[in-house]
Amino acid sequence: MLALSCFWLLLGLLVGLLAVLAKFWPSSWGRKKWPAMLSIGALAAFCGGWLGTLLLGRFFASSVALWIAVLCVVVLPRLFVWVQLKHRSLFPRGTHSSK
Amino acid sequence: MPGKPGNRHNSTFGVVAARTALALLFGAGLFLSVTPAGRATARTAFLVAAVISASQPAPLNLLEEPVRHIQKTVPSRGGTVYLDIYEPATPAPPLSRALEGIVIIPGVGDNRNVPQLINLSLALAHVGIVVENITTPTLMHNDISAVDSDAVVQAFNFLSHWPGVGADRIGIGGFSGGGTLAYLAAADTRIRDRISFIVLFGAYFNAETVLRAYGQRAIIVDGKLVPWYPTQYPLQVLANVMSDGLPPLDGSLLVSAFIPGGKPLTSNKLAQMSPPAVAAYHLLEGDEPGRVHENMAALSPQLHALLNTLSPSSVINKVHAPIYLLHSRDDSSLPITESQAFAAALARIHRPYDFVEFGIFQHVEVATGHSLTQILGDALTLFRVLYKVLLPGS
Repeated sequence: MLALSCFWLLLGLLVGLLAVLAKFWPSSWGRKKWPAMLSIGALAAFCGGWLGTLLLGRFFASSVALWIAVLCVVVLPRLFVWVQLKHRSLFPRGTHSSK
Repeated sequence: MPGKPGNRHNSTFGVVAARTALALLFGAGLFLSVTPAGRATARTAFLVAAVISASQPAPLNLLEEPVRHIQKTVPSRGGTVYLDIYEPATPAPPLSRALEGIVIIPGVGDNRNVPQLINLSLALAHVGIVVENITTPTLMHNDISAVDSDAVVQAFNFLSHWPGVGADRIGIGGFSGGGTLAYLAAADTRIRDRISFIVLFGAYFNAETVLRAYGQRAIIVDGKLVPWYPTQYPLQVLANVMSDGLPPLDGSLLVSAFIPGGKPLTSNKLAQMSPPAVAAYHLLEGDEPGRVHENMAALSPQLHALLNTLSPSSVINKVHAPIYLLHSRDDSSLPITESQAFAAALARIHRPYDFVEFGIFQHVEVATGHSLTQILGDALTLFRVLYKVLLPGS
């Protein structure tokens, strides 16, 4: 499983790279876009692979790793921005009271 | 500073290409892991690669389920049945249904250690199918007996109680002479409504038409008689089969002529034999191609009955499962005309079947030295059939 886990990480890095090229990163990330997108891709593929192994078996795990990695690199950055905006709208700067 | 128009164009193209690639990867991953058609496609592609290359493709070893090999025996009317079971070593995952199983009768003789059979068994087990290869004492003695269809029934029942295997998801595969036992078992009322499919590879339809082809050393292709020369082994097997329907002395003389290294019978020895035994000898020896009709007529009623009981044609309408017929075009053990006749007969009685011919196999094993075009063509044909077999269980 170690070799397979490494394969999923590699697959995730490739997906992350494609996501950077596809400009799926939020503009606010700036220079951090490379490590952030590659990390999301690798981590998602790794988790997706293990989830696939547990639910569908090893034979289909890499396919699961692939689509989960793509889903995460597309959705997670947008979700991150949305959460950030939501947070800012709920707690605008200067409204926090310091004790 | 605004970029040059050319750079902007390249950048836009790169973004579109990357997004398209991601969309395709997402679609492919989802299709291959979630939908039944996709799962069947993935399993079939792996199996075809393993069968065509006659080995486990090295890069795909990474993806495979680990496999366990277990040997068991079960009793049957014809004697002990030897089972070689190949199964995924890990239990079935929660989201997959019960495992599929296949009982394989890998032909006459003891084929348990044939590398291509082991490769096929491992490949099937790697994609989550429990494989049960069976052999019997009769088969190991290079003979076929109709009573061994009970061995297939017992093996089928044994597999249907195997942990993790769905009782309604078991098929039977028969290679070469094993196809006869597969078909006879599939017609057995004890299991015929529980069999999900039958695959017959390089099998025969009617033992008498096989004997006729051996006698003529020719087959009819597109209405023309074409020379065809069988290899030695099927002649030995048929001599063993026919000796069971002859007096002991006749039987032993007939067998002695077709064992490896056996010599043609002299006229003195032929004079000691009964007319049916002499006719059987000439048919197998192929030394009287012009008298095949007479020699067939000279066979005793016992021999005709014996050949009939060992012919799938005798029970053709008693099988309910879908049938897949596979045959090598240049088969020199059992002529392709057998599967063609089988397919024609199934079509006449409106039974579900599929029939495919291959060029890269010799009898039931992958041969080397074929062109890439031929390999790709046969790979697609094999993919089509295996996909149909695997789809219901995916």
